[in-house]
Amino acid sequence: MTRVRTVVLDNEGVQALSSSTHPKHAQVIAHVQVVAHRKAKAIPLDILAPTAVRVEAGWDRRARSAALINHLRIADVPLDTPSADVAAELVVRLQVSVADAHLGATVASVADRGAVAIITSDPADMAAVSGPVPVTIVTI
Amino acid sequence: MAVKRPNVIGRIETLLDAQDDRTVGTSMRMPASLRDAAALAVEHLHVARSTTALTAEALRCRLEAIVLQAALDSHYRENPGARPSLGDLAVAAAELDGHPLAPRPQVLRRAAEEVVRSHPDADADDVLLWAEAQASVAG
Repeated sequence: MTRVRTVVLDNEGVQALSSSTHPKHAQVIAHVQVVAHRKAKAIPLDILAPTAVRVEAGWDRRARSAALINHLRIADVPLDTPSADVAAELVVRLQVSVADAHLGATVASVADRGAVAIITSDPADMAAVSGPVPVTIVTI
Repeated sequence: MAVKRPNVIGRIETLLDAQDDRTVGTSMRMPASLRDAAALAVEHLHVARSTTALTAEALRCRLEAIVLQAALDSHYRENPGARPSLGDLAVAAAELDGHPLAPRPQVLRRAAEEVVRSHPDADADDVLLWAEAQASVAG
């Protein structure tokens, strides 16, 4: 077992952090609090949101409703040209959504940094789009 | 003029997010021994491109932690029910790491209750270590 280096949020993870009334809010806030504690100990650890996931979850950083999640130091991962190629291949091969495919491309792009965890309500699709990268799937 | 705390946090966040490669020389003073230790780490352990890069990375990491915790603390003040317990945090840490005890949250919650009795400042990683040791002893 190795400590997680990168946490990637899927649609449900983003939605859970966006609203304090979301049923999974407290659970995902606990994950972010663990990240905060480890950052305070100078342990490198990033939380990422692929931008296509943001679109699917309706996370507009300009919206007042995004006040909390905007402050949680969650970095956007843009759908750039290399990611689009990987994501397109995943869409064709697995018939997944654009957001899930972008998440898979994101996992592939950060795999060399260290262990990756995905916070998701859809573990089967996340396992499919992440392969062959070994990931920890946190089902919420 | 006093600046409100949320405004300061917001300003720090904006600066951390800025895509700005400009650098400035500073007159920041630091202990000579710390500077020498950093130089050795860079030269022989290759932990960063330069002592300047190492210093900047460490400072960014610390500031990221400060603003993230400030955001969470503010959220907990407004939503006390959202503040996770030590048990919640231990479960969350185990889930993120894919720890073997992650599927046994009741073990982690019980470990959190035991650890906090003698170590009130324990964090989730302390609980994981404790629970892992207990599980190892129990076979």
